[in-house]
Amino acid sequence: MELPKPPDRIMLEQDLAAPEFRCGEIDGRWRYIGICWPYLTLAVSAPERPRSPLEFGFRFECSGYRQKPVTAQPWDLAADTPLPAPRWPTGPVMVSAVFRPEWKQGLCLYLPCDRLSIEGHDNWRSEHPNRLWRPERGIICYLEQIYDLFHQSDYSGIRSA
Amino acid sequence: MSKSIIFIQVQGRPGIIEAEVPESATLGELHEALAAAGAGVDAETFIFIDESEDHEQGERGQRVERLKRGSRVHLSRCRRIKTTVHYLDKTAERDFPPGARVRAVKDWAVRTFSLNPKDAAEHVLQICNSTKRPSSDTPLHELVDGTGCALCFDFVPEKRVEG
Repeated sequence: MELPKPPDRIMLEQDLAAPEFRCGEIDGRWRYIGICWPYLTLAVSAPERPRSPLEFGFRFECSGYRQKPVTAQPWDLAADTPLPAPRWPTGPVMVSAVFRPEWKQGLCLYLPCDRLSIEGHDNWRSEHPNRLWRPERGIICYLEQIYDLFHQSDYSGIRSA
Repeated sequence: MSKSIIFIQVQGRPGIIEAEVPESATLGELHEALAAAGAGVDAETFIFIDESEDHEQGERGQRVERLKRGSRVHLSRCRRIKTTVHYLDKTAERDFPPGARVRAVKDWAVRTFSLNPKDAAEHVLQICNSTKRPSSDTPLHELVDGTGCALCFDFVPEKRVEG
């Protein structure tokens, strides 16, 4: 007998079917890969840079969604494993501050909206109010931040390029 | 008849509505799809497709050339949005269509204030007298308050995440 889905998974699936997410998908900003609960795998598009991919995979841990923030790990979509550090995205100032493979063994992004990174960073609540997790927006607020880092910031490609 | 998905955003109403229109829809068919989605158009509402400079008008049987799969259809009471940007001691103004996204304003501000690429990457638009920094994909009409058709941004340095 199939077990009923937990409420956090039901909420996530509702958000993935909502116009806000689908609009971004059809726009080519992000792409759904799959769910293996409590993990959600997505790809976020990136602009063309030398010897770098046109999208990056991320595996989100979503237990407690949406009341608890998610945490995202750069993910190798082909191998279904964590993305090796030389293939992480980078840039001189803003992108390298967020994509730090040495931070928590590469388990998460150094962003205020990330569940693991916000721990112990209470100063971020006043310093980065726009980068905090917003339960009413859910996964979209995290995805928009990644997308804007790639497209409106100093993204220069992958670390080994 | 095959259908296309569109995404409707109504000024003053939060969220996005997903709807279907026939492929190669006419203006009349677009109006019908909007009404069916609960987003009726009255005499004071302008329809803009994506970031188009001009609103849709004409005969009901006329094809809406700009409409494509995944288009964002903006219903706005503003024909243009008067946008002011402050950067250091300088100010610039320009009118944008309601569907223009925040990234279009930033691109214009970067050119207008002659920021180099490094400075451009480290600056963001923040709504005046607030801490709100909308994502680059946000259409301008979503940010307009009340009955006006104007927006004000400060072009401020983005603080690097650290500490």
